[in-house]
Parts: sequence; C-alpha cells; structure tokens
Amino acid sequence: MKRQRFLGLAYLAPYVLGLLVFTAIPFIASFYLSFTRYDLMSEPRWAGLANYEKLLTRDRTFEKSLWVTLTYVFLTVPLKLAFALFIAAILNYKLKFINFFRTAFYVPSILGGSIAIAVLWRYIFASEGLANMGLGMIGLGPVDWFGDPTNALFTITLLRCWQFGSAMVIFLAALQSIDKSLYEAAAIDGASKTRVFFSITLPLLTPVIFFNLIMQMVQAFQEFNGPYIITQGGPLKSTYLLPLYIYDEAFKKFNMGYASAIAWVLFGIIMVLTLIAFWSSKKWVYYAGDKRS
Amino acid sequence: MKLKRFAAVLTSTALISMTVAQAASAAELRMSWWGGDSRHVATQKALEACGAKHGHTIKGEFTGFDGYLEKLTTQMAGGTEADIVQINWPWMPLFSRDGTGFADLGTLKGLDLTQWSEADLNSGSVDGKLQGISVSTTGRTFFFNETTFQKAGVAVPTNWAELEAATKTIKEKLGDDYYTFNAVKETAQLLVTLAVVQKTGKDLVDPETNRVAWTPEDLTAGINFLGHLVEIGAIRSQKQEASDGNVNLFEKPDWAAGKIAGSYEWDSTFSKYADPLQEGQVLKPFPMLHIEGAVTDGVYRKPSMLFSISKNSKNQEAAAQIVNCLLNEPEGIDALGTSRGLPSSKVAAERLAGEGEPEVRAANAIVVAASGPVISPFNEHPEVRGNFIDTLEEFAYGKISAEDAAQQIIDGTNDVLAEFD
Repeated sequence: MKRQRFLGLAYLAPYVLGLLVFTAIPFIASFYLSFTRYDLMSEPRWAGLANYEKLLTRDRTFEKSLWVTLTYVFLTVPLKLAFALFIAAILNYKLKFINFFRTAFYVPSILGGSIAIAVLWRYIFASEGLANMGLGMIGLGPVDWFGDPTNALFTITLLRCWQFGSAMVIFLAALQSIDKSLYEAAAIDGASKTRVFFSITLPLLTPVIFFNLIMQMVQAFQEFNGPYIITQGGPLKSTYLLPLYIYDEAFKKFNMGYASAIAWVLFGIIMVLTLIAFWSSKKWVYYAGDKRS
Repeated sequence: MKLKRFAAVLTSTALISMTVAQAASAAELRMSWWGGDSRHVATQKALEACGAKHGHTIKGEFTGFDGYLEKLTTQMAGGTEADIVQINWPWMPLFSRDGTGFADLGTLKGLDLTQWSEADLNSGSVDGKLQGISVSTTGRTFFFNETTFQKAGVAVPTNWAELEAATKTIKEKLGDDYYTFNAVKETAQLLVTLAVVQKTGKDLVDPETNRVAWTPEDLTAGINFLGHLVEIGAIRSQKQEASDGNVNLFEKPDWAAGKIAGSYEWDSTFSKYADPLQEGQVLKPFPMLHIEGAVTDGVYRKPSMLFSISKNSKNQEAAAQIVNCLLNEPEGIDALGTSRGLPSSKVAAERLAGEGEPEVRAANAIVVAASGPVISPFNEHPEVRGNFIDTLEEFAYGKISAEDAAQQIIDGTNDVLAEFD
C-alpha cells in the first residue's frame, strides 16, 4: 500500500514539478514584478502601483494596443466559430472521401501556429503575392493587405480563422452525438431544414459552442506569432496586439516590471470576459437532462 | 636498480599527469553570434580550425540580428549565455553597467591584448575592466547597384541632387517601379540623422548636457529631407514597404532584380546585400552623399561588435584561447576573413591586407576616412530608436507634420536621457 502510494506520487511528480517551475512560480513572480522596476540585469526595485498608474492613465500605446486586441478578439472568435460550425455541418454528411476531407480541413490547425505558416501568409498577402495575383486573374484590382492599417488587422484575423480545425473537430463530434430520433420526429412533423437547425441542432450544440467560445477567446487574446512575423505590429500599430507590446517592453526595452503589469491587466480582462461568458451561459446554454428543459 | 625503478615511476607519473592535464584543458564551449549566411559559414570554419588547434570543441549558436538581443538578454538573466558571446557595442551599458557583466578579459592569460589600440581597448572597457574585445570598426555607407544606373545611362550619384536627377531618368527609362534608394525603419532613422549631422555637425546627443543637441528646426529639415526623397520616387513610401509585410531588404525580389538600386547600410554587411542579387547585377560601395551646405560627411561610425566571455563560463581560459585564435592567430584570421568587417586586431589587419572582398575593404575605407562627430550609444537605445522610428512612420502616413514629428522625437529622447542623469 505504502509502495503503491509512493508509485502514485512518483508518477505525479514530473507534472507537479513542471507546473510549479514553468507555470506557478513564474505566475506568482510576475505578479510581484508588476509592482517593481526590473531590467533583468539588476535587482528589482519596489515601485508600488506606479506601473499600473502609468498603464491605466498615461500610456497611449497601451490604449491603442488594447483597442486593437479587443477588435481582433471580437472579429476572430465569432468568425472562426461560425466557420468551424459551417464546415463541421458539411462534413457531418455521408459524402464520398469524407475522411480525406475531414483530415484536410483539420491540417491547417496543426500547422497554423507555426512560424513557417506565418511566413507563408506574409508571401501570400504581399503586394505582389498570390492573393493579389488571384484577384488580378478574375479582373479585380490589388488589395493593400498589409500596407493599409484598416486591412492589416483583418489579414491577420484571416490567418487565425484559417486555423479552425480544432474547433471544427469538436463541433463535428457534438453533431454526431445528437440523437437521430429528434431529426426523425422533426421530419415527420414537416419541419424545414432551417427550422431543424435552429430548433434542434443549435440548442443541442450550445454546450460545445460555449466551450469553444471560451477556448478561442483565451487563445485569441494571446495571439503573438502571426502579427510578430507578418507585420511586427505595424503599420501605425494597427496590428500591435497586447502580447506584442508585452514582448517589446520585456525583451526590447527591458522593462520587465512594466511588462508584467500589462500581462496582469490582460489576465484581468480575460478573467472578466470569461466570468461574463459563464454568467450569461445560464441564459443560453442548454444541457440535456437539465431541469429547465 | 632502485634508482631505475624510481626513474620509471617518475616518468610514468609525469606522462600520466601530462595526459590528464591535456584532457582537463580540452573544454566543450559554446559561442553565440548574429549574422548572415556568409558570416555563419566563415565562423563555423574558424571555430573548427581553432578548436582543432587548441583541443577544444566549440558549438556555434547563430541567428540573424532580429531576436538576437532578446535571446541573449534572457540567457544573461538566467546565467545560461554561451561561453563566448558576440555583442553589439551599444548593449554594453545594458549588460555590464559596472564592469561585472562579463569576465574581465584583461585578467585572462590566453588573449594577446597588445594587438589592439588603446582606443579599441577603452571602447570595450567599463570601470577599467575589459568586458569585450573589439572585432572591427564599422559604419554606415552607401551601396549602389551599378547595373541599374548603367542600364538607364546615368552615372552613380555623388550627391543628393545628382540622385534626384538620376531617379527621374531611371523612372523614365526603366519604369516607375524602379527606385534609386531605400530607407525603412532604422535605415530611415539613420538617413534623417545623416542629413541633420551633415547640416549641423552635431550628433543627436550633446555629451556635455546629456540632452538632444539638435533644435526642432534642424530635425524638421532632416525629416522633410526624407519626405522629399519619397515624394520624388527615390525611396518607396512606408506604406509600400508595409505592403510587403515584415521583410528584410536583402530578401526582397525587387532588391535582387535591381529595382531598388541603393541603400545606406553597415560596411561589413556588403556580402549580405550583394549575394542575393541576380546574375549580372553589380553592387558597389560609394562615398557618403552630401546635402547642400554640409559641414561634415556625417559618418555614423562606431566600434563594431565585441567578443565577450561569460562570467559564468567554467572554461574562461579556454574561451580566451579561442577568442585569441579567432582574432590573432592565422587559423582563425584566415577562416573568418572579412566576414565581420576589417579586423581591429593589428596582426589580423596585417595578415588580411589586400585580402578579402575588395568591396568590403572599399566600404570600410570609406567609413574610416569619412568625417563626423563621435556618436553616442543612445542613438541605438531601444526606447530612443523605437520613438524615432514610430514617429517617422506617423509622419510617413500623414498623421503628423514634420514639425510635430521633430518635437515628438526630441521630447521622447530627452525623457530617456533624463533617466541617466
């Protein structure tokens, strides 16, 4: 018994150690550092609330970056979820080569986070890239994907939406678990396909939509690779998401304390939005077996 | 008999100790640097040769310039930097404010310091401790693609007025998509700096007051100078540059094809810009172009990169042997060649006299011969540079006037300088 307990702890140890060293300690340390001035090379100096005061009252770059980040998240998350659900609904039909298509649509989400894909994206949407060549072939003029501050954020958003595979797989699994008898009953009642989708499919998918919403929102707030490689936050800081600002403050200007304060404000925003999502879920998420049903 | 046995034991002991000593001195080292392909290849060959000579193995850790500082800073904070580290001169105050950031090279026996001038040794010292040894002196100079100018039947310009005239002819003869010059990000900053320094003879920072030496009017004229070059089509606009995404000049197809026919770059990076050119395109270094009424060449010259040895290295003497080999011994000198510009070490400079790429020599000769004020490391302070470049971008997109941009740059720079009072 004692030996088994030891064995269990031994199995747990690597994970617990990893969690402590790579997550818990840096997490707590960054909270402390957010109240200091720290340039990495010398000891942190206590600064009280100075970093937060500057951040929330005087920092125009933070204001701009926060606005860009919120725009990015509110554009990306609904677009990606809608697209993932749309493709999952198509892939739910019994078509020829369906497994091939399922794999093909999933692949971008495996590749999507990589640097190589961001570089590829940069070449596709460059002024003389594939996207503009395609537009030219159908008689349309070129679009300034990166040079125009309004378009640049949208182009970065497209990259994120293109990585819809993981959300799609979850939707697909949920779609397949919906009881077929419900559809049969609706068919007997003569319900149209649109009605079936909105009255049966969508309500039964709400727990999965909720899950995907939270996951995608958290990931979108942390986006870094795409804008860093493709635009470096430009032009005119139109793609300067908060993680880029944190990175610049920490590793280019060596203001580790200030960077930690930005990170904690970002954490606070994600936390608040997640809590709002949880609170609102009581009103729109349907769980089978729920007494309200 | 006893004596013989004693002698035999003594000899064997001596032999064993020598073997052990040899094995102990054979160190496994790491060296990190930034650069382009030609530098990576040359440095790896040099490390192999020096490693073989001194019985050490050295693992190279190399990247491009982008991201190198961030990586090195993280390593320095964690004490995991390589044994031998290539650093940029303006980073010295960051990594070694009081002369304790790196090993004191003056105390290591393996390095022959008599090969450097007093000025070179001073430039790498903090509080009397030698924190880095100068590899070369570098500066910005002009590179022009001769082929493009020849195709249009015009001479390579010797001043900005001639560049303006050449731009007009090139666009007429070769097409509107041809540009005679390039200025993005820090190159734009340094081009504006060049214009102001040529006009005023002063560096950005006044060493006496530790504040910006230029007046808002001086800087406004410099910013307008950059704006004029964009207006006449000599330089692509910031918006056009942004349209390509974040791509280095030497990676651009238009550079390779000669459609961007010039730039203002570090002398030591000549190969990085010449290598990607399409066959038949010829790139050459040229002396500084002058604005009207220039009082100096305005060269932006500084000690180039330094080699430092980590204070955390367990093999500092072995690392010093390798640094000495790279910079002072034939094996290292021959393999490195001019991949880091023309060397500061006297013995290396003598050995490479007449060798190496003639264009790199020519570029370095231009930088060394040109006149200009002593430049402050604050020109490359991350916050000063960030503010300068961001403000120029706002000006380029028409968000602010040249006057407001000048004031914004001066105010931002003075804020940073005030932190060092």
